[in-house]
Amino acid sequence: MARKRREIGKAGWRRTAVSTVISFIYFFPVLWIILTAFKSHTDALSTPPKFIFTPTLENFASVFARAYERGGAAVDTHFDLFFFNSIFIAGASVGVALVIGTVAAYGFSRWPLRGNETYLFIILTTRMLPPIIVIIPIFIMFRLSGLSGSYVGIILLYAAFNLPFTIWMMKSFFDEIPREVEDAARMDGSSEMKIFFRICLPQVKAGIAATAVFGLILTWNEFLFALLLTGRDTRTVPVAMAQTIGGDIGVRWGLLAAIETLFLIPVVIVTFLLQNQLLRGVTFGTIKR
Amino acid sequence: MAHLRLTGLTKSYGSVHALRGVDLEIEDGEFFVLFGPSAAGKTTTLRVIAGLEKPDSGTLVVDGHDLAGVPVKRRDMAMVFQSFALYPHLTTYQNLAYPLREMKLRRREIDTRVRETAELLRITHTLERKPASLSGGEQQRLAIGRAIIRSPRLFLFDEPLTNLDAKLRHDMRAEFKRLHREIGTTTVYATPDQLEALSIGERVAVIQHGRITQIDTPDALYAEPVDRHVASLIGDPPINLVKGTLKAQGGNVGPAIELPFMELDGSRWREGLQALDAGTELLVGIRPHDLALVDEGGAGVPATIEITEPQGDITILDLKAAGVPLRMVVAEATGARYAAGDSVRIALAGADTQLFLSDSGTMVA
Repeated sequence: MARKRREIGKAGWRRTAVSTVISFIYFFPVLWIILTAFKSHTDALSTPPKFIFTPTLENFASVFARAYERGGAAVDTHFDLFFFNSIFIAGASVGVALVIGTVAAYGFSRWPLRGNETYLFIILTTRMLPPIIVIIPIFIMFRLSGLSGSYVGIILLYAAFNLPFTIWMMKSFFDEIPREVEDAARMDGSSEMKIFFRICLPQVKAGIAATAVFGLILTWNEFLFALLLTGRDTRTVPVAMAQTIGGDIGVRWGLLAAIETLFLIPVVIVTFLLQNQLLRGVTFGTIKR
Repeated sequence: MAHLRLTGLTKSYGSVHALRGVDLEIEDGEFFVLFGPSAAGKTTTLRVIAGLEKPDSGTLVVDGHDLAGVPVKRRDMAMVFQSFALYPHLTTYQNLAYPLREMKLRRREIDTRVRETAELLRITHTLERKPASLSGGEQQRLAIGRAIIRSPRLFLFDEPLTNLDAKLRHDMRAEFKRLHREIGTTTVYATPDQLEALSIGERVAVIQHGRITQIDTPDALYAEPVDRHVASLIGDPPINLVKGTLKAQGGNVGPAIELPFMELDGSRWREGLQALDAGTELLVGIRPHDLALVDEGGAGVPATIEITEPQGDITILDLKAAGVPLRMVVAEATGARYAAGDSVRIALAGADTQLFLSDSGTMVA
């Protein structure tokens, strides 16, 4: 152990340099967006691009507070609503998927049906075709059922999208729990309900966190279905962002960058809060305990 | 306290027959050992008793009540699993308290019993820690603690020492004996280890291929195994089984068995051998302890040493006599004088020789 640490220390500066360069290349687009968010409209458009400029918060201010001009008229941006929508829709749909998916996964893992594997495969196939293939029927179904433009509609749809991988991921976590632990609880007098809630669920906490993060990111970034199936009041940030493009002023790069920067923050927070759980979740079962 | 009777239990998993008719009677307060190689049906038997597994047929009667259809939690039994099966997300304290909470005891009483049990098993210092941070021995004792804490009428131990290292196993064997003396609860203990079976069992059932082949005291299992399989499972190093043929008998001529390297007097088995024809194939079981080295020129038969295996206090010699491999045990000091390739003379010294029919393997009385 000690030797290993010293070796890393020795070659450290070279490795650090290489990884810094690579990280910089990867991170550059994000960095550029964050920089642009703090630029004034003219700075944002200047060629060659400016790296040194006077930072301004006017873009952030205009995301929420200030109505911006379009054809001379003052228009409320509604971005507070769109951010709320994104958070609410992603949170609710992942929540619904987790509740249903976790229970289903436990069922598939512990009370297998005849043809269990077939069911699981069928569940997976729903994620195999590109979403754009089913978008027309789904659009029509939403129109006919009146779900179009409602929170319930888009939340149900995202929950359905998240469900297959929630079930698959959670099943693998449940599979990892030794059954003898459940038998022990059975011997100790626990009902099947209690075994699930008090014995199994606490052991897959890391798995739930990992699954939740993947689901949240997937839903948070979703554009296509949100574009077609959300209404004026239920619009999510990615759709609203796209709609700021155009108009008389053209693309307001500073404003767009500010929205993107803000859009990035929840993902960073969630990932940061859950990083320990996430790591445990991702490496779950790779090490014999 | 419980008296158990298992009758004709069978259980299959698909095409695998785990139990093929198990009959057992276990007395109240007995420390009963279920001994057999892995996959013999030990775990399945315990799980059927516990109610975790439903038998395909057969009955299980405890204290006069048929347990068919009685759910696990109402059987009032406790089990220690081979993997310990501790609750990984709970502390030692919570692990011990879990069965008591399920019994809906008051917090005060739970606390008292948890501390008493932890004291008894010497794990008080681990109460606030989780299982992953306990040593193997502590985990083991916690698993036992979780079983004894609610004073069930029956203990089921499924290879509880298999996952421990040799030294700890030895200590824990004594621990089990001590616990049983103190608590006195009827116990069924499954193990694949003959040393464990013989040293802690009051009675031992040998289970093989889903069937009980013999139920006896440890001494009787060693001295009078019902067949060659039981004979070769018990005793370390294992018994030598040598092929022999029955010689003609009758009149004044007593029975004798022709072995490749010697002729064995069969008068001990006179009654059993009477019914057999001359030329019947037999297996002679010779315990490694019953072979002795004799002086050059004395009685005995010539043999060659193939391998010497020093064990510290004793040495195991692998010999060949007239082409037949034999194993014998000598004192370390004696063993040290020999090396592979040496020629020696050996003789049958003990009286524990056993005789089995070659085709069925059953013992000739």
